Amino acid sequence: MSHIAELSRMVSNFHVPGSGGTDSSVPEFGFSPEVILYPETVEEISRVLGFASQKGIRVFPFAGGTKLSLGSPVRAAGAALSLKRLDKLLFHEPSDMVSTVQCGMEVREFQNAVGRENQLFPVDPPGLSSGATVGGLVSTNLCGPMSTRYGTCRELVLGVRAVRADGEIINLGGKVVKNVAGYDIPKLMTGSLGTLCVLVEATFRLYPRQPFSRTLVLGFDDHVSCSRAARAILAADVVPTCFEILDERLSSEFSVAPGAKRSILLRFDSFEEAVVEQIKQVREITSGKPASFVEMGDEDSRELWDSAREFPFSSAASFSSKLTLPVTASIEILSDIESDPALSGVTVRSLARPARGVALVSVSGEGEEAVIAAGFLENLADSLGGRIMFSDVRCELREKVKAWGDFGDALFLMKNIKRRFDPGNILPGEKIFDAD
Amino acid sequence: MDTQAVKRTGRWKSRIASELVGILGAGAVISAEDELIAYESDGLTGYRVKPLFVVLPSTAEEVSQVVGLCNREKIPFVPRGAGTGLSGGALPSREGIVISLSRMNRILEVDIPNRVVVVEPGVVNISVTDAVSAEGFYYAPDPSSQIVCTIGGNVAENSGGVHCLKYGVTTNHVLGVEMVLPDGAVVMLGGPSPESLGYDLLSLVVGSEGLLGIVTKVFLRIIKKPQMVKTLLASFERIEDAGASVSAIISSGVIPAGMEIMDNLSINAVETTVGAGYPRDAGAILLVELDGPGAEVTAQVPAVSRILRENGAIEIKLAADENERQLFWKGRKSAFAAMGKISPGYYVQDGVIPRSSLARVLGEIGELGRRYGLRVANVFHAGDGNLHPLVLYDPEVEGESEKAEELSGEILRVCVDVGGSITGEHGVGFDKKRFLSLMFSEQEIDTMNLVRCAFDEEGLCNPGKVFPTPRTCVEPGMGKHGSHNHAPKGMGELF
Ligand SMILES: Cc1cc2nc3c(=O)[nH]c(=O)nc-3n(C[C@H](O)[C@H](O)[C@H](O)COP(=O)(O)OP(=O)(O)OC[C@H]3O[C@@H](n4cnc5c(N)ncnc54)[C@H](O)[C@@H]3O)c2cc1C
Ligand SMILES: Cc1cc2nc3c(=O)[nH]c(=O)nc-3n(C[C@H](O)[C@H](O)[C@H](O)COP(=O)(O)OP(=O)(O)OC[C@H]3O[C@@H](n4cnc5c(N)ncnc54)[C@H](O)[C@@H]3O)c2cc1C
Repeated sequence: MSHIAELSRMVSNFHVPGSGGTDSSVPEFGFSPEVILYPETVEEISRVLGFASQKGIRVFPFAGGTKLSLGSPVRAAGAALSLKRLDKLLFHEPSDMVSTVQCGMEVREFQNAVGRENQLFPVDPPGLSSGATVGGLVSTNLCGPMSTRYGTCRELVLGVRAVRADGEIINLGGKVVKNVAGYDIPKLMTGSLGTLCVLVEATFRLYPRQPFSRTLVLGFDDHVSCSRAARAILAADVVPTCFEILDERLSSEFSVAPGAKRSILLRFDSFEEAVVEQIKQVREITSGKPASFVEMGDEDSRELWDSAREFPFSSAASFSSKLTLPVTASIEILSDIESDPALSGVTVRSLARPARGVALVSVSGEGEEAVIAAGFLENLADSLGGRIMFSDVRCELREKVKAWGDFGDALFLMKNIKRRFDPGNILPGEKIFDAD
Repeated sequence: MDTQAVKRTGRWKSRIASELVGILGAGAVISAEDELIAYESDGLTGYRVKPLFVVLPSTAEEVSQVVGLCNREKIPFVPRGAGTGLSGGALPSREGIVISLSRMNRILEVDIPNRVVVVEPGVVNISVTDAVSAEGFYYAPDPSSQIVCTIGGNVAENSGGVHCLKYGVTTNHVLGVEMVLPDGAVVMLGGPSPESLGYDLLSLVVGSEGLLGIVTKVFLRIIKKPQMVKTLLASFERIEDAGASVSAIISSGVIPAGMEIMDNLSINAVETTVGAGYPRDAGAILLVELDGPGAEVTAQVPAVSRILRENGAIEIKLAADENERQLFWKGRKSAFAAMGKISPGYYVQDGVIPRSSLARVLGEIGELGRRYGLRVANVFHAGDGNLHPLVLYDPEVEGESEKAEELSGEILRVCVDVGGSITGEHGVGFDKKRFLSLMFSEQEIDTMNLVRCAFDEEGLCNPGKVFPTPRTCVEPGMGKHGSHNHAPKGMGELF
C-alpha cells in the first residue's frame, strides 16, 4: 500500500482530487495534494502527523480556504488536512467569560453561540461571513475594525490544543485569564500560518456585549483637516470600538461620504448615555472641520462595517498589503501614498486603522506598474519604521512581489523555532520562509 | 540544561575578574564576599546562592561582551532587575555571574503622539508613568511593587497589577524589545508599531523569566489617563458574597479597571499598620474601581452599587475624593507588608482559578488552614481569579515553615484541580518548577524546551529555573552541536 493510501486509512473521510464527487468544495491550494483528509478526531490528526513525519510526507492544514492567499505559496504537499469536521463548541462558562472551541468551527457560529449569553468574541476578520474558521483566525492573526478596542486574537487567546508535526498532542496555556506558567506558546501560534503545529482547539477570553451602539461618518474636503481630526480623536476622552480612515476612492465606493477626500468612521458601544456623550465630544473637538457628519444606528451601518471588514480581501486587485506602522505614520501614510508619482500608474485603495498603526492598501494595475507600486510600499513601510505583508498577489506577479518584507533580526530566530518544532518541514514552512 | 557546578581554580577566577574589569571598568564588577551577599537571593529569601561575580553593565554592548565571555568559558549567567521577584527567578547560579541591569536605568524616548516610551530595562516601573503623567498618560501594568521593581523584571515575569482586569498585563503593553541573546548577539523584536508580522517571538520573551536572553531596551505602550475614576469599597459579612458580586458585575456588562478582595485577617492587618479606613468587623471587603469616559462611569456607579447590594453588601463607600481613593488603594498595596507586622513569617502564594470557582476554592483553602493549624490570609485580584493566599507561620517554631510551604503547595493543587494555574504573575522561577508538571505533561514541557533551545542551545542563560528536570537541546538526527544558532546551515534543504 502506498504511504498516501495508508494515511487515508487513518481518518474518517478522505477525498482524492480528480476522482469526482465533492471536488466543488475543494479550494484552490496552488499545489496538487494527492489526497484531502477530513479527520473527525484529534487522535486521527495525531496519527496522520505521526505517520507523515516518519515517512516525510508533507501535510498542509487548512479549514476550507478563504485565506490560503496569505503568506507565500505552498510548493508541494502530499496531503491537505481539513479541520472542517472539528467544529464544536466544547466549553463556555458565562460567569468566567471564557470559551473553548474546536478550530474548524466558523468564527461567525462561535460568535452566535456566545452571543446567546450576551457575550462577545470581539474579532471581526475578513471572511467572517464567508466561513472563516477559528483555526484560520488564530493561524493568520487576521482582525478587523473592532481591533481598535479589543486588539487582535493574540490579545484574546488563552490556550491552545495542538498536534505537533511529530504527532504529539499538546495543551499549552490554560483556561484562565491570567497565567504565566511556561512560555506563552499560544501567542506564538497566532499568525504562524499553520507552519508550527496543527491547531485543534483554542480557548479565548470573551467580553460582555454592550447595550447601545452608534456609528459616525465624518467626511473631509482635504487630508490635512482629516489628519488633524484623527489626532484629536486619538487624544480625546473617547473610547471608540472602531476607528478607520478611508481614502477618497473608498469613501465613495463604500458610499459613506461620496465626494469627500477622506472620511473617518467611528463606532461607539456602551450605555446609551455614554455613547451620546462621546459623540457629542467628537462633534466638539472636530467642530467645523468635517464637511459632513452623519450619525447612524446599528442596522443602517451594517453594510458599511461589512465593507470595512472585508477590505482589502474583497477587492479584485493586483495585490493587497498590510502595513504595520507607528500610530502617527498610519495616519499620514494615506497622503504619502496618494501624492507619490510612483503610484500614478495604478489604482490605489487605502484604509488606515490609526489606533493599531495599521494601513491596508490594495493596488490594481498592469504588470510592471504594480511591481513598482509594491516596491514603493515596501520602502515606505521600511522608512517609517514599520513592516509590510503582501497578499492576494495575482499569479503573474508572484515572482516579483513576495509575501513578506524583511523580518530583520528576527528571521534566524524564527527559523530556529521552525526547525525545533518541525525538523522535517512536514508542515509547509515556505508559507513564511519563502526566500529559502 | 542545569549546568553542573564546575570546580574552578583561583587563578581562573582572577583571570575572569580582570577580563570583566576590562570590559566594564572596576566600578562595575563586584567580587568581594560581603558585597555579594546582597545578590544571593531575590524577594524569595528562603533560597540563597552566592554568585561568582555580579556585574553592572551600562550598555547593551557591555552586556553582549559579558555574555560572550560567559559562552567562551561556559559560565552560567542570571539577569537581575531590582530583585523583588517572588519565585526565585533571579536566584544566582552556583559558580555563575549575576548581570544586574540596575545601571541601565535611562528613559530613552518619550513619544506622546505615537503612544510609546522607550526605556532601558533597569528603569523602575513607576518612573514610566511619572515621565508621561503631565501629558495625561500612564503605563498601565501596576504591580504592587511598582515603586522598586524594574521594567526588565516586569517583562521577564509578565507582571500584572491591580488594574489588569480591564487593561491587561505586561504582554499587552510591550511593543518591542532589544535583547542580548544567550550567545551574545543583539536582536530587536517588534518595535514602535502596535502590531507586528512574522512569528510572535516577542510574546515568548515576555514572561520568559530571564531564560531566553537579556532584555536591554523596551518599547512600552502608554495609554491616556481615563477621564473619570471612581472607587467603591463594599463590605460583606461573608467572603463568598464578595466573590459572587465579582461575577455578577462582569456578567452585567461592566468591566471595572480592577476588583480586589481582602478577607477579615488581611483587613485587620492593614488597619493595624496603615489605617486605610477599612471596616475591621467585615468578613471581607471588595474594592471596585471604575474608569473611562465620564458619562460611562457615571452610569456604571449606580449599576454596580445595585449589584453589590443584591449580593449582600452591608456597606458601600464611594471614595469622596482622590485622597480617599489613594487611601483605599494604599491599604491594598501594603497588604503583604502588613502581614509581616502581624506574623513573624508568611509565605505568599500565587495561583489562578476560574472566577466561577471562587467560593469553592476559598472554602477549601480555609479547610486546609484548619487542617494544618495555620492561618491563611486572602488578598487577591478577584476580577481575574488571581489568588494570593498568605500562609502565616512562625519561623521560630520547629517545623512550622515546612508546614507552611506544604500547605501553600496544597493550595496550588486545588487551583489546578478547578482548571486554574500555578502562577498568575509571580512566575515559576526556582520555587515552583516542581509544580509545573501539575499543569503540563512531559511532552508539553518538552515543547516549551523547544522554544528555549531555539534561543539558547547551550543552556547558560538562567539555568535551573522553570523546567522541573534538566533538559538538553539535542536535535533529532543531529549531534548537540550539529547546527549553529546563528546562520542555520541546511535550511535550504529543509525549506
Ligand atoms: C473554493 C472554495 C470552496 C469552498 N467551499 C466551502 C464549502 O463547501 N463549505 C464551506 O463551509 N465553506 C466553503 N468555503 C469557505 C471556506 O471553507 C471557509 O472560508 C474556510 O473555512 C475559512 O478558512 P480560514 O480562513 O478559516 O482558513 P484557511 O484559509 O483554510 O487557512 C488559512 C491559513 O491558516 C492555516 N490554518 C487554518 N486552520 C488551521 C489549523 N486548524 N491549524 C493550523 N493551521 C491552520 C492554513 O494552513 C493557512 O495557512 C470554500 C472556500 C473556497 C475558496
Ligand atoms: C511586595 C511585593 C509586591 C509585589 N506585587 C506584585 C504584583 O502586584 N504583581 C506582580 O506581577 N508581581 C508582584 N511582585 C513580584 C515582583 O515585583 C515582580 O515579579 C517584578 O516584575 C520583578 O521585577 P524585578 O525588577 O524586581 O526583577 P527581579 O526580581 O530582579 O527578576 C525577576 C526575573 O526577571 C529576570 N530579569 C530581570 N531583568 C531582566 C532583563 N533585563 N532581561 C531578562 N530577564 C530579566 C530575572 O532573571 C528573574 O528571572 C511583588 C513583589 C513584592 C516584593
